[in-house]
Amino acid sequence: MSLLSWRERLTIPTYDNEEYATTGRLFIDHELCNGCGVCAQICPGKAIEIRGEGREKKAYLEEVFPQCMSCNDCAAICERDAVTAAVAYDFGYYFKKLNRGEFRKPVPY
Amino acid sequence: MDETAVAETPEVAAPSGDDWNPVERVILERRSVRKYKDRQVPENVVRRILEAGRFSPSAGNSQPWKFVVIRDREMIDEMERHVVRWCRLFRFFLDWRSSPLGRLVPWLMAQVSIRVKRNQLHPIPFGAICLIAEGKLKAFHGAPTVILILEDRRGVSRPQVDVGVCGQNMVLAAHSMGLGTCWVGFVELLKYGLKWRRKFGVEFPYRFCEAICLGYPYGRPDGMIEREVMEVDWYEDGAKRSVCQGGKDVTA
Ligand SMILES: Cc1cc2nc3c(=O)[nH]c(=O)nc-3n(C[C@H](O)[C@H](O)[C@H](O)COP(=O)(O)O)c2cc1C
Ligand code: SF4
Ligand code: SF4
Repeated sequence: MSLLSWRERLTIPTYDNEEYATTGRLFIDHELCNGCGVCAQICPGKAIEIRGEGREKKAYLEEVFPQCMSCNDCAAICERDAVTAAVAYDFGYYFKKLNRGEFRKPVPY
Repeated sequence: MDETAVAETPEVAAPSGDDWNPVERVILERRSVRKYKDRQVPENVVRRILEAGRFSPSAGNSQPWKFVVIRDREMIDEMERHVVRWCRLFRFFLDWRSSPLGRLVPWLMAQVSIRVKRNQLHPIPFGAICLIAEGKLKAFHGAPTVILILEDRRGVSRPQVDVGVCGQNMVLAAHSMGLGTCWVGFVELLKYGLKWRRKFGVEFPYRFCEAICLGYPYGRPDGMIEREVMEVDWYEDGAKRSVCQGGKDVTA
């Protein structure tokens, strides 16, 4: 069995096609998030938006094709542990991700 | 040779489930830093970081790199503006979603270009080009110090790998001193036009490769995070296993 079929090898995906491209996805706990916005400032994909006023000010993943690269830099800087990237990006076809699974912390084997 | 005559390397215990040792901790907690304080990094600290680069392994000990340290705010801003201008140009010709040329022509040009430059125009850097062009993302992240690593093209085998190894040595040294760093692949755009090639004397055998920005981080960006587990092929005792690195192994 080959890792990529010929069709996958030859099809370079366009960047914003939701049919086969998955962006990174965040899990944001709005109970913990206070909308401080640090995550949005440092996000390399500018995929986080701060919406709302006062106590309702919270972080949200951008709705239209967020350019989240699931780097978890937002999770690292968030002082309240309110955000984690829980789904990896995968653009499919030529850029299909191989041999990767779900997200885990470093394991001290 | 008489084996008893040589000094032994002491073994460091690494019992399962033990706490991370200080080196592992720096490696695992290092995150790319994209917001810096204005405060300049002391000169001696930068020199120590460059030492970590000087003693990096390289193919055939060829050390195929040259460091250029830039600590001039005006100059870094000018480099930033250069990168933004070129990102705008690329977006103008390639981004079919926003280009004033309409949808079809940029789309066709993008389809051709991404086949020629598959890695450089991978969806992630393509998206970053657009964000930089729109002024939403910065290339040098406002860092007070930038270290360019020029590649010496006469290196042994694959000099770009050596540049990567050397840069990561410096990055880890920096994080061990409480500094923040971020790799800047977009520095390659400085090769377009004569200005920066003249300024930094980038001519054969040198070429732009990567840069590292350096400074005191805003907030506390370093820390351990989650990453995808990955499959590792493992050969032992005449059999092949598939190991799930970071997760539970499924025995097939
Ligand atoms: C060779 C190289 C070039 C990179 N170029 C950029 C860049 O131009 N801009 C940027 O924001 N991050 C850049 N990065 C940082 C990566 O985005 C980052 O390492 C990745 O998202 C993983 O996140 P982490 O470093 O926090 O673990 C680069 C990293 C490497 C290794
Ligand atoms: S997720 Fe964390 S860093 Fe982001 S706005 Fe909420 S509290 Fe601030
Ligand atoms: S995981 Fe990275 S790219 Fe995605 S939202 Fe967080 S900081 Fe941004």
